Amino acid sequence: MNLRHMQSIARTFLTFALAAGALASACAATIPAGTVLSPRQEFVRNNGAEPESLDPALIESVNAAEIGRDLFEGLTSTDHHGTVVPGVAESWKQTDATTWVFKLRKTATWSNGQPVTADDFVYAWRRFLDPKTAAKIASTYAVYLVNGLDVVNGKKPVTDLGVRAIDKLTLEIRTPNPVPFLPGVVAVAQYSPVPRATIEKFGKDWTKPGNMVGNGAFVLKDWQVNSKVIVEKNPKYWDAANVALTRVTFLCVEDGNADLKLYQSGEEDMMEQLSPGAYTALKARYPSEMHNGPLLGLRFYALNNADPLLKDIRVRKALSMVIDREILSSKVTADGQVPLYGLAVKGLASIGQTRYDWADWPMDKRVAEARKLLAEAGVKPGTKLKFTYNNSDYHKKMAIFAASEWKTKLGLDTEMDSLEFKVLIRKRHDGDFQIARHGWVVTFNDATLFLALVQCGSEVNDDRSCNKKADELIAQGNLSTDPARREALLTQAAKLAMDDYPLIPLLQYSVPRLVKPWVGGYDDANGMDRYRSKDFWIVKH
Amino acid sequence: MNESGIPTVSAPVDFAPKGRSPWRDARLRFQRNRAAVASVVVLMIIALACVFGPMLLPNAYDSVDWDLMSHPPTRANWHLFGTDELGRDLLVRTLIGGRVSLMVGALATLVSVSIGVVWGAVAGFAGGRVDSLMMRIVDMAYAVPYLLIAILVVTIFGRDILLVVAAIAAFSWLDMARVVRGQTLSIKSREYVEAARAIGVPTWRIIFQHVVPNLMGVVVIYTSILVPGVILTESVLSFLGLGVQEPMTSWGVLIHDGAAVMGASPWMILFPAGALSITLYCANFIGDGLRDALDPKER
Amino acid sequence: MWAYVLRRLLVTIPTVLAVVTICYLMLHATPGGPFDAELKVSDAVLANLQAKYHLDMPLWKQYLYYLNDLIHGDLGASFRYADWSVNDLVKRALPVSLAIGGTAMVIAIVLGVGIGIVAALRQNSAIDYIVMLFGNIGSVLPSFVLGPLLVLVFAITLPWLPSGGWDDFAPRYMILPIALLTLINVSTIGRIMRGSLIEVLSSNFIRTARAKGLPTRVVVMRHALRPALLPVVSVIGPLAISSITSAIVTESWFSIPGLGRLIVNGASDRDYTLVLGLVILVTVLAVFLNLIVDLAYAWLDPKIRY
Repeated sequence: MNLRHMQSIARTFLTFALAAGALASACAATIPAGTVLSPRQEFVRNNGAEPESLDPALIESVNAAEIGRDLFEGLTSTDHHGTVVPGVAESWKQTDATTWVFKLRKTATWSNGQPVTADDFVYAWRRFLDPKTAAKIASTYAVYLVNGLDVVNGKKPVTDLGVRAIDKLTLEIRTPNPVPFLPGVVAVAQYSPVPRATIEKFGKDWTKPGNMVGNGAFVLKDWQVNSKVIVEKNPKYWDAANVALTRVTFLCVEDGNADLKLYQSGEEDMMEQLSPGAYTALKARYPSEMHNGPLLGLRFYALNNADPLLKDIRVRKALSMVIDREILSSKVTADGQVPLYGLAVKGLASIGQTRYDWADWPMDKRVAEARKLLAEAGVKPGTKLKFTYNNSDYHKKMAIFAASEWKTKLGLDTEMDSLEFKVLIRKRHDGDFQIARHGWVVTFNDATLFLALVQCGSEVNDDRSCNKKADELIAQGNLSTDPARREALLTQAAKLAMDDYPLIPLLQYSVPRLVKPWVGGYDDANGMDRYRSKDFWIVKH
Repeated sequence: MNESGIPTVSAPVDFAPKGRSPWRDARLRFQRNRAAVASVVVLMIIALACVFGPMLLPNAYDSVDWDLMSHPPTRANWHLFGTDELGRDLLVRTLIGGRVSLMVGALATLVSVSIGVVWGAVAGFAGGRVDSLMMRIVDMAYAVPYLLIAILVVTIFGRDILLVVAAIAAFSWLDMARVVRGQTLSIKSREYVEAARAIGVPTWRIIFQHVVPNLMGVVVIYTSILVPGVILTESVLSFLGLGVQEPMTSWGVLIHDGAAVMGASPWMILFPAGALSITLYCANFIGDGLRDALDPKER
Repeated sequence: MWAYVLRRLLVTIPTVLAVVTICYLMLHATPGGPFDAELKVSDAVLANLQAKYHLDMPLWKQYLYYLNDLIHGDLGASFRYADWSVNDLVKRALPVSLAIGGTAMVIAIVLGVGIGIVAALRQNSAIDYIVMLFGNIGSVLPSFVLGPLLVLVFAITLPWLPSGGWDDFAPRYMILPIALLTLINVSTIGRIMRGSLIEVLSSNFIRTARAKGLPTRVVVMRHALRPALLPVVSVIGPLAISSITSAIVTESWFSIPGLGRLIVNGASDRDYTLVLGLVILVTVLAVFLNLIVDLAYAWLDPKIRY
């Protein structure tokens, strides 16, 4: 190890340590001075679909995770700015490229008064990745721990997992390769600690109100399936002094219109999402209550690179070139989404955004070039395209637009196939599609989650594309401990992969949402769109 | 002159009064019902508009007008009903949608009614174990969630408008069968049926010549109740991806899309819902009129 | 007659069995399984999931397991709502749906019969047309238009009622959903009542009653109503069942935690146990209601005998 190497490691260590230290103090509802709080600190928000489970190991959906993060707290947490802040761990350091040590705070307790110890984490993580628990999402998170995948696949016992308790308040984590963004990974709901005694006592019913014990800022008061989940402030939470809200109600309304009506009639304070096409009108009607900001997510169309028609890169390029993303974003979807001409979205960590060179050409030039490419590839006008999407008004609109672009500009006919979501993902996985609608949103902020979409043999690469050079660069980037070099390598890898036109990037997701003016703590710049209830407060109104 | 001296004419003359066909009576009674007649006229106008309108109008149902997206009704570019969020002309789409809805409505209703009437009449008339078995089958068919059947049908046989008709008819006949069976139970215990049986008229003849005509009243009414249900079910299926596919549309789909933006773009729901409502009101009045006209007791 | 009732109740068992078998086969034949997820699931996890729910066994064996649980009153564990058993879910959703659907039916019957009588007595007059025009609103506008309209008028423009939600049978949350269901059912009942009453009013025994000089009210209520109600009663069975178990649009729009939402979510997530549990519930309800309807036939038309 030479001096430069040590210097870069030291730099990394210092950066994180400082960040951890600085943020340790800023991890609660930072209420601006002079705000008059309402005497009634109760908040009603719509959370979308009914949660599939409140057991951290079985949580899969974003909605369930949102509630999960109020009931349980992991080593770290994500605040309302989208930043990683200390949770149960008060500090952490990376002792070498693949080892991290987290120091837990003494004041962290469960809602029944018992202290939270490092053993609780070890128990929880082993339980999560144990194939007997049958957590569907385990594979996705297992890759970040040594032997994680082997444990999930049943090849190694859970005790081989790369996590151990050095003492009651110290946890050591080993990763299979350098994971610079590990603090972000352990903030997810699935990596929360779980109360062993409670689970052993109640079994499957441990998540019911009255039985559940958690270490989060709130405790489960009531759970009415398909109606609401009610949580109340946990007085034993270590940071309870900084939690303003006393009661939060999560509604589970999936229909955008019903959501809007509840908001308008005052039954809820915060919507989950808008109906397609409603943004412009609602923004005009509620200018101060409409919030919008970028989400770390990509809307794109997956292209089956193995399909006989799409095998030729020229065809894929042509299809991508002619779609007018400006009109798509400003007129068709019209809700603040940003056109994308590359893989990475704005705000994604450790990667720069890339852009196709033709993105700045006038549309006529793009169409002419695309037609030339099609002719070279021997594709005649009148050829049929097959487009698969899941039935939802929003996707329907975008799909109709794309079909009309391909028809008017390239003379290709698109056959539209609308399916149920489950059937769509099955077909995508099986490669039973030609062009399919796809969307990708991250659970923590790092480029590797996006790059997985284009890596050879990756489980989430439905396109079956493969660029070996790009993969090499990604591997190199992951081994690098210098953040700047990592970013450069990953950006280059993305550019290489995207030059193969494996998919058609379209837009970056945005989060248009109506929030009542008396709700404090909402941040439009929160690219993760994750909020802990402890970050909200109600202003006097 | 014949033998008794009574003058006779050379060619036989038919002095028997011209028979009054019950159908002619029914038609006359129907014509007296002003609402029903008006409804027939309106319905014919709508049907003709749906069939011929799109051919005569300059806009295609799937062409996008980039300058006038989500626009209220205007005379520009013949967008008399306005445009939808993708700039497609709503007038043409309403008419094209009418084709699908009317066709599905008519076909699915026809199939449902046929199956339902026969099933219910046979069950009610046969009574005993046969009735029990047939009605238990109806009970069982009720319990099966139609969503599942629809998904299965489409997956196995692919997507086809006729399959939509089949899927809808598959569970719409149940109610008709129940209603018909109930009526049959009542009719079969009436005197004229007893009489027919006493004379020895074969069962099938009793069913079709005596029972069914007396069922017509209720059947006609229930049919006109069935029609809106069928059309609306088609829209639910299309929304779930099991019916008509984009860019083809139907009234149900248009109404569903319009309901989502009712506050911001009311014309998007006004016109298709208006077309559907008018059609269904007409169907209702015609149904009531037919029932009144076909009632064998009315003189 | 009691023998008939007993026979019908006993027949429930094979009926339920037949339905369960058919649905069971259909569910497994439908593409997409309960464990299809956006992110790939490891084989070991999948194996355990399937073992947990007995899905790794041959179909007939799973079936027997299911029947065994059924006899013990256990409808199984839900896939979609992983923390709850199907028994829990049904126990909570059924009273809600019964309250809303049941109340709506009762009101619809009263109103529908009333409208039908008025229209029949004033056949082909302006009153007939007007009454039927209003009565038919529910059959002419789809529920996903009527629902938003009701909310627009009574919850947004006139802030009298909440636009949706549920709070432990609090009446104000129940008014609009019940109104929607009632509007939809009233039109069916009203039209059948009208048509049927018109038919009965022109029969001989009514002519006799009128000839005897009886006032119209007595003629209608005492003599004509009973036989005229027959087709109405036929229709009440299916309407009640669909109002209670498949009020999907109403429940989604007003965010009511009832049976309709359970069945829709269950079907789209391929939650086998949940769907089967609900199917059994619907079958039992259907058999029960239809039995009552058939008994009502006998009461309304004395010539019908079982």
